[in-house]
Amino acid sequence: MVRLHVNGQIHELDIEPHETLAEVLRGRLGLRGVRVSCGEGECGSCTVLLDGVPATSCLMLALQAEGKEITTIEGLGDEEHLHPLQQAFIDEQGFQCGVCTPGIILSSKALLDKNPHPTAAAVAGALSGHVCRCGAYTQIVRSVLRAADEMEAADER
Amino acid sequence: MSAEYGHRVVGTSPPAKDAAQKVCGSLVYPVDFELAGMLHGAILRSEHAHARILSIDASRALALPGVIGVVTHEDAPDLEWNGTFFNYRGRIFDGTARFVGDELGAVAATTAEAAREALRHIVVEYEPLPAVFDAAAAMLSGAPQVQAEGNTREPSVEAWGDLEAARSAADEVAAADVSFGSQQMCPMGRNAAIAQWSGGRVTLYTGTQTSSEVKDAIAEAFGIACSRVRVVALPLGTSFGEFWSNNFMMVACLLARKVRRPVKIELSNAECMAYVKRRHEERCRASMGATADGNITFIDVHHLFDNGGYGFKDDVGYLVLDLWGARVPAGRFECQGVSTNLVTAGCMRGVGDVTMGSVVERLADQLAERCGLDPLEFRIRNHIRPGDELRAAWGGHLLRHDKQGYERLIDEVTKAAPAELRQRWPEHFRLSSGSTVEMLRSAAEEFRWQEKFVGWGRPYYSEGPVRRAVGVGTGIHCCGEEMEGNTDATVRIMKDGSVMLFCAVGRQGTCADTTQAMIAAETLGIPFDMIEVEAGDTDACPWSRGSIASTTMFRTGFKTWAACLDARRQLLELAGREIFDCAAVDLDIRDAVIYTTEALREADEAGHEPTGGVPIPDVLMRDREDTFGPTDSITGRPDFPMPPSMAFARHFAAHFVDLEVDVETGQIRLLRYLAAQDSGTVVHPQVLEGQVIGGALLGAGFALCEQLHFDAQGRVINPTLSDYKVLRFTDFPPEAAVMFAEDPDPVGPFGARSAGEAPTAAPVPAIAQAVYNAIGVWVDVPMTPERVLLALEAQRRERSTDSGGR
Repeated sequence: MVRLHVNGQIHELDIEPHETLAEVLRGRLGLRGVRVSCGEGECGSCTVLLDGVPATSCLMLALQAEGKEITTIEGLGDEEHLHPLQQAFIDEQGFQCGVCTPGIILSSKALLDKNPHPTAAAVAGALSGHVCRCGAYTQIVRSVLRAADEMEAADER
Repeated sequence: MSAEYGHRVVGTSPPAKDAAQKVCGSLVYPVDFELAGMLHGAILRSEHAHARILSIDASRALALPGVIGVVTHEDAPDLEWNGTFFNYRGRIFDGTARFVGDELGAVAATTAEAAREALRHIVVEYEPLPAVFDAAAAMLSGAPQVQAEGNTREPSVEAWGDLEAARSAADEVAAADVSFGSQQMCPMGRNAAIAQWSGGRVTLYTGTQTSSEVKDAIAEAFGIACSRVRVVALPLGTSFGEFWSNNFMMVACLLARKVRRPVKIELSNAECMAYVKRRHEERCRASMGATADGNITFIDVHHLFDNGGYGFKDDVGYLVLDLWGARVPAGRFECQGVSTNLVTAGCMRGVGDVTMGSVVERLADQLAERCGLDPLEFRIRNHIRPGDELRAAWGGHLLRHDKQGYERLIDEVTKAAPAELRQRWPEHFRLSSGSTVEMLRSAAEEFRWQEKFVGWGRPYYSEGPVRRAVGVGTGIHCCGEEMEGNTDATVRIMKDGSVMLFCAVGRQGTCADTTQAMIAAETLGIPFDMIEVEAGDTDACPWSRGSIASTTMFRTGFKTWAACLDARRQLLELAGREIFDCAAVDLDIRDAVIYTTEALREADEAGHEPTGGVPIPDVLMRDREDTFGPTDSITGRPDFPMPPSMAFARHFAAHFVDLEVDVETGQIRLLRYLAAQDSGTVVHPQVLEGQVIGGALLGAGFALCEQLHFDAQGRVINPTLSDYKVLRFTDFPPEAAVMFAEDPDPVGPFGARSAGEAPTAAPVPAIAQAVYNAIGVWVDVPMTPERVLLALEAQRRERSTDSGGR
């Protein structure tokens, strides 16, 4: 029996040693916002946060995540309670097909936690492990910069 | 811009209909979709590029725990199915493998793992056949025959004027012979096909740009009535032409029929990249001539492309002939498709105009240099303008009618349209609206072109190994490729005034459902938030070409507009008769409330809220005198046809790039990027900006690094993102800018045309020209560091030979 801390909840699960974290989050816990695409750690769409640090969940075993606080996009906000990053991605239309979006938002969250006022180049650098095949890079960078501004304004209020 | 035309919705950027679901991860893609009692399928694929299947022994697989059933060619109907524009033609399985990875059969099991494991226990006995991997080789007599009809399709030919006379009249002639490798759509997200048979009907849930086409293809493949097929197109990841109707969808239906349970087949990204579809391999041999003062006298293009195993196309898009050929006295275009034993090839975003377009633009640039003109001037002088004759309206695209017969046909089909509408419609076979000219002028200023362009083949900055230069390239594509009719839409105004719009558009990230809802909102006078769209269910949506060939905004948008006009007319007639006691033309709708046009005019003039309005529910829920009951709902459908888009409409792109080349490493880095777009009226600026920048990235990727590679056995050797390089965040200037030229179209909805493909074509010539200006040599795509260094090496050798040095 393995205890996984996911989005503030504890789950006790019988996990096979070969199961990836992405398989467990999607298949066992129904967290379909963990988008699996390339399956080899190249595209970044399956990114989740482990203790606040981005990790490609398709490449790691679920067992390796034991004892860490796992955050998926579902843990960041929902349609009624949007995180400022999610709101900024809506406002700037920082997406097209939406497959890469949850992973990119989570990596952006990790960036803003460390660096609340990044430059456009710093955002692009922090997200260079992600592929947006639709090519929304410009709008994504704009979304993250907008979220940084909004979060700062909210802090000041 | 929108206020100028009095638009209330068109020209604004409301959040996309599915925006919150996308940023919260709650949108259901095919891979997330499940049915009760569902099994999982896996596809058995050929190890050989060309082979006859002697036997398939699945007995050991069937004995494994969890394995429920197997299908092979012995289970497949003896029927062929066809994809749109012959992007696919074949049986589901026919006992012959035509490329490595071709579908031979499939397994259904209780888990996906069990299904995949079972594949390893199926014994296939092959009779390998000679294979051919190159279009030119496949044309030779004695070449292995990929298709029973032979490898070569009938050439598409377009010709005008006296080519030989024009050739001898040219003062300058440029020629090129350029080969292109295949670009891979490299889809993000995973697609899946979930099939279920029930009561003699099959339902398929999958990710597709073309739900109606998939429905027709399933009916064809199984020999059943269209009424027995339902396709539910779910939102999908990036597609770029990969997912129209694909054989894996048919395999899912066949497997589900055999095991009498719902079956889901999920494809990995590597399967998609190696076994589903790709851009053709192409070879373009072309020449172009000009007078000394820079007027093009002829264009001659011979274009060859490979169809792979199951493509059956006889041409690619060649709208570039319209862009460059309209003012040219003579030209010839010949295009030919050839079958090979490589994975099926077909239409990928910008088909033809990405490849052939870049060759034509290179020739134009070479002529401009020799004539002493700068690239902007040469383009402005020679490019098509509204009213100019179109060259690409014939050939394979508009049947092969004679022109007079075709004009009669158009008159016949469009005469049902209201006279006031027809008066606005353009003359056929002439460009209706838009051009590159205004964009080239205004974007050049914005880009500071005059400052940065210091002459052909000359960098504006040179320091150590670094050379910096600018380039400009243009692109064109169609606005749908249809005869009259076809794509359709219907709309339902419900009793509370809310609206359902039914139009089959693809949901591959272009936000087409959102922009169609905006057109409905503008036409009906009902707020955008009160309009929902069903875009994927063929049981609800009328037939549509789907979101391919830049059809959606122009043609689907026209039909959405026309359907809403019909619903609006019905509603106003009802309100006029039952409540206002006036004619429908004296009424209008604003914010879902019906007013007299006089009341609206008075209010607008006085600057206050209009009065005397009746909300839509009060009209629809009121008991009518003629029926003794309420109306409840109104259904609108287009009651007049649309003229064929290929006969007049195009969309345009002009891209400017500033880049640097390192002559020691061969590395190219993009520094600044400006993309100008003419799509007519801009309906949703944010969505259009996304389409334009996304197109630029796809084209820039093709220009710089993207190519699918095959080994000597025809196997794709780089079907993963670690080996197939695409552009990432740091490979493209994050401040890339977009500008719109908005020449409204007389036919398109509110003046809009289409958007997605011209911006994929323009970056290739823009980057190639900038590289030429940086290092003085033309480099073929993909312009990898190796190719840049080889080109520089060839240039050095040539220069030392020219100078007689030794």
